[in-house]
Amino acid sequence: MAKEKYDPYKGFRELTGLWEKQMNSMLLGWSDNNEFIKYSSRRMENYSRYLELVKKNQEAMANLMNIPTKSDVKNVAKLTIQAEEKIDALEEQIWNLQDTFTEVNKGNMEFFAELVEISKQLKSELDKNVKELREAKKVKADLQKLRKELSDASELKAEFQVLRQELAEVNNVKAELQELKQELGQDQNQSKQTEKAQEKKELELAGAGK
Amino acid sequence: MAVESPVKVPVLDYEKEMKRWNHVYKILSEGDPKIEHSPRQLVWRKNKTTLWHYAAEEKKYSTPLFFVYSLLNKPYILDISPDTSVIKGLTKRGYDVYLLDWGEPGPEDADISFDTYILDYLEKGVKRALRHSGAEDISVVGYCLGGTIASIFASITDLPIKNLVVATVPIDYSVGIAPDKWLEGLQKGELSVDRFVDVYGTVPPEWVNVMFRSLAPVNVSPYVGLLTRAHDSRYVDKWRRMDKWLNDVTPFAGAAFKQMFGDLMKDNKLAKGELVIGGKHADLSNIDCSFLAISSANDSLIAEGQSLPVMDLISSEDKTYKLVEAGHVSLALSGMFAPIVDEWLCERSGKIGE
Repeated sequence: MAKEKYDPYKGFRELTGLWEKQMNSMLLGWSDNNEFIKYSSRRMENYSRYLELVKKNQEAMANLMNIPTKSDVKNVAKLTIQAEEKIDALEEQIWNLQDTFTEVNKGNMEFFAELVEISKQLKSELDKNVKELREAKKVKADLQKLRKELSDASELKAEFQVLRQELAEVNNVKAELQELKQELGQDQNQSKQTEKAQEKKELELAGAGK
Repeated sequence: MAVESPVKVPVLDYEKEMKRWNHVYKILSEGDPKIEHSPRQLVWRKNKTTLWHYAAEEKKYSTPLFFVYSLLNKPYILDISPDTSVIKGLTKRGYDVYLLDWGEPGPEDADISFDTYILDYLEKGVKRALRHSGAEDISVVGYCLGGTIASIFASITDLPIKNLVVATVPIDYSVGIAPDKWLEGLQKGELSVDRFVDVYGTVPPEWVNVMFRSLAPVNVSPYVGLLTRAHDSRYVDKWRRMDKWLNDVTPFAGAAFKQMFGDLMKDNKLAKGELVIGGKHADLSNIDCSFLAISSANDSLIAEGQSLPVMDLISSEDKTYKLVEAGHVSLALSGMFAPIVDEWLCERSGKIGE
């Protein structure tokens, strides 16, 4: 036979569950009417009035005996809370200041970063300019050299001009010489012809004499 | 050959019974269990209110969570045991969690109203959490009356609320679980708590407990339930924690108590859009962030009809409503709350590295 474990509480739990539900329904049902509300309200009012009276008497007695009451302690505690609130408000103000400082610092840092950047740019520009200046100086020197060379070339040119002139003059002389040569040639030819003619004449004369 | 008897005779399990009664004896003789919190860091303290930070185990989301709990109970229900802790469940899933613990108001706090709680404590707490986390926005999670407070806060604040999650939240007080005549008496002014509250200043926890008990005067099932399952050590441990929390009711600041009964319960100003907090009109239609409302199907304190109207009152385009099979407290106690919230929030929270 399989042994089935007996749970004596299962049924008890179900029964109490049902009983509780029914009891609650019954009690809430009984109280669900205007009379109960009015009665409760009246009881609460009476209870409150009674407590007020007790408190008032307590305060009066304590006052006579010069003993601090709960309301005195309450007032002191309230002051502490107020101080705490002020500190809290101050803390928030400090936050705001911190935030403002952070913002300002951030702005300053950005500004400084920009300044550094500009300085760097200026430096690189300056380096570039120095380099360019150096190059310009070099170019200037080259130019001066060129100019010198150019002036030398001009002088050379002038010399060439002179030479050309002289050459032209030489050419002229040459041409004159040519002309002279030609003339000389002609003269020579003429003299040759004359000599020949004279020789012939002489020959003729000599022949005639014979 | 043995013949099997047709009548099954139940056998009493002596071992189980010994365990059961040992546990019952232990509960009766020992004090309350010690509740150990998940690792946390104090961020801010003002009066009785404390803001705690629970760092994510491995941070996945840049949008932190800010928990607002009810004024009626203590918020350690959200971190009641390592196995089922809502907060641990969320830090494990990669969220940074902040919890605003309202603390226990004393007689000097009688003048604290919803206005003070929302503007001087909640709004400042959220500011602190935003500053502490360095996040651009935050998700606010409100539980029970904390959900009502979170909704009012979200409707009036300029702070960057990315997501709003409310669980078992009472918004519409024209309905409720209390008998109709009680509600009617309250609405007609036949039942007023003003004088009673004025006498006390701060309503003592015993009276807050009476208020809860009046909704279910006969309450034996938790004890019968304990007796039934007292052999189970895990159940007993859970029960003890729950019992400690249930009896650990907080006092209620008088001005806020009167406001809850007057503005919310009697005049239903929040649902009607007539509530004014710190001179600002707390109109729920101002809420336009992503919104999730969770209701418990077996809630014995907040009826679904009290939560559901919020879906029509807000103007969020991205809004989700979830009805889960749980009770008012078991939603947090069973550990199911964290996965539900995570499932919805993971897509709506900023991710690390994005």
